[in-house]
Order: sequence, then structure tokens, then C-alpha cells
Amino acid sequence: MIVPPVGGLGGGASAGISLAQSEALGSPASAGPAEGLAQNPSAAPAEAPFQGEAPAGSEAVGGESPGFGSALTEAISSLEKSQQSASAASQALATGTVKDPESAVVTVEDAAMSMQLAAQIRAKATEATQTIFQTQV
Amino acid sequence: MGLFDAIGIAGTGLTAQRVRMDVTAENLANADTTRGANGQPYQRQVVVLAQSGSSSFSGALSGALAQSGGGESPGGVHVTEIVGDRTPDRQVYDPGNPEANAQGYVKMPNVTTVTEMADLISEQQSYQSDVTAMQTAKSMFSSTLGLLK
Repeated sequence: MIVPPVGGLGGGASAGISLAQSEALGSPASAGPAEGLAQNPSAAPAEAPFQGEAPAGSEAVGGESPGFGSALTEAISSLEKSQQSASAASQALATGTVKDPESAVVTVEDAAMSMQLAAQIRAKATEATQTIFQTQV
Repeated sequence: MGLFDAIGIAGTGLTAQRVRMDVTAENLANADTTRGANGQPYQRQVVVLAQSGSSSFSGALSGALAQSGGGESPGGVHVTEIVGDRTPDRQVYDPGNPEANAQGYVKMPNVTTVTEMADLISEQQSYQSDVTAMQTAKSMFSSTLGLLK
């Protein structure tokens, strides 16, 4: 897999973050986010574990959550798609087959900013879950 | 996408300005070409730009109101065609030229180097402004993300 030249936002990172998101957001009742992060092999494919994880999380939470779960699945798959198209664009740029360098730049920029957004939302969600787990009982 | 439309639109502007730059370079390179593709002197080429996406305001409004399936076209600009400039060829008196006619005149291309240089400046400025628009959109998005930190 060709890693797009955007500071540390490659394909491997995308798999790691989408996995972490699925663990942290999809099943808040089952496991702590810190455990989920520690167990994640970052090189594993993103789709397969996530497809199994999302319905479990939505069942656990209840009524309105299937909407959120499917929205999350959709967001992560579109993130994955943008990463793949950025990889393809940078590969085409490197091999010289691209006719339009500007569109390759735009694709890579899109992927980088989508990844930044996902990383920020994931960090925020992890923070929120940790706040809940620190509740004194 | 929706979130990053400004970057895509600025990207179409970059592409269009690059095509204009290519065509201007072609014009400058052939400013003295007396034998073009059809045997005639080279004809100056001009780029025709058109707005992408919905052409009318009502179309754009209904697309924005529908909200669900719409928004596939991010707008921007595209090159529709590259046409020849119909200005008559220059007649230059040069009896020693092998292309000269019986009266000693040579038909030279209708390219004016000074005009092409001015076009180059305009293209460079337009490209620069597209790059600036893209950078501004990026920094706006980054500062929005900074709110989450």
C-alpha cells in the first residue's frame, strides 16, 4: 500500500484509528476505551472487525442508537475510501500516469483533512468515555 | 463530500489556469511558425472557460433545498474548448523569406508576444489566488478542528 505523503496520515494509521473508533464508540458498555486501544493490532483490515462490532454496540445501548451506529459505519467507510483514493492518486503521481496534478493534490488534501477530523472526534469521544469511567460511586 | 467543497472548487480553478498557461506557452512557442498543422500560419489558440455545476440560480437553490441526493457537483470551473483566434494573420514584408509571396510579403501568425506576456501574468495571478483560496479553506478547517482540542 502506497502511503500518501501527508504527515503521518497513511493507510496503516487509518486502519488503526477506525478500529479504535469502533471499539471506543461502538460498544461503550462492554469494554473500556483504553483496553480497546491497547488490544488493537494496527495493521489489521479495518472493515471486518468493525462490521461485527457496530450492531453489538447498538444493541447494547438501545432505541436511537442504530442510527448513530450506521452513521458511524458510513463515516468510517467513506474515510477509508478517501484514504484509498489518496493512495491511488499519489501512486499515479509518482509513476507519472496522472494528467492532472492539481486533482491529485486535492484528493490527498481531502483525505488528510478527513483523517484529522476523524482523529479529533475519536480523541474527544475517548476523553468523554474516560470521564464517565472516572465517576465516583 | 460537502465539507471540503471549497478545496475542490479551488482545485478546478488550478486546473483551468494550468490549461490556460499551457495554451499561452504554445502560442509563444509558435509565435513565428509560418507552417502550422494545415500548412497555413499558426493560429493563436484561446481557452474558453465555463462554470461547472448548476448554471442557473434556481437550479442551485433547488439542489440545495433537496439536500439529500444532491450536491454531487462541487461547482467550480472547467475548460469547455480551445478555439482558434480569428484575428487576420500579420503580413510582414520580407522578400528574402522562402515563404514570401510574389509581392514579398510573408503571412505570420496572429500571435502578439506582448499580449501573451500579459496573459501569462494574468494566469499566474489567477493561479496564485486559487492557491490562496485553498490555503485559506484549509486553515479555516484546521482552526475549526482546533475547537475540539
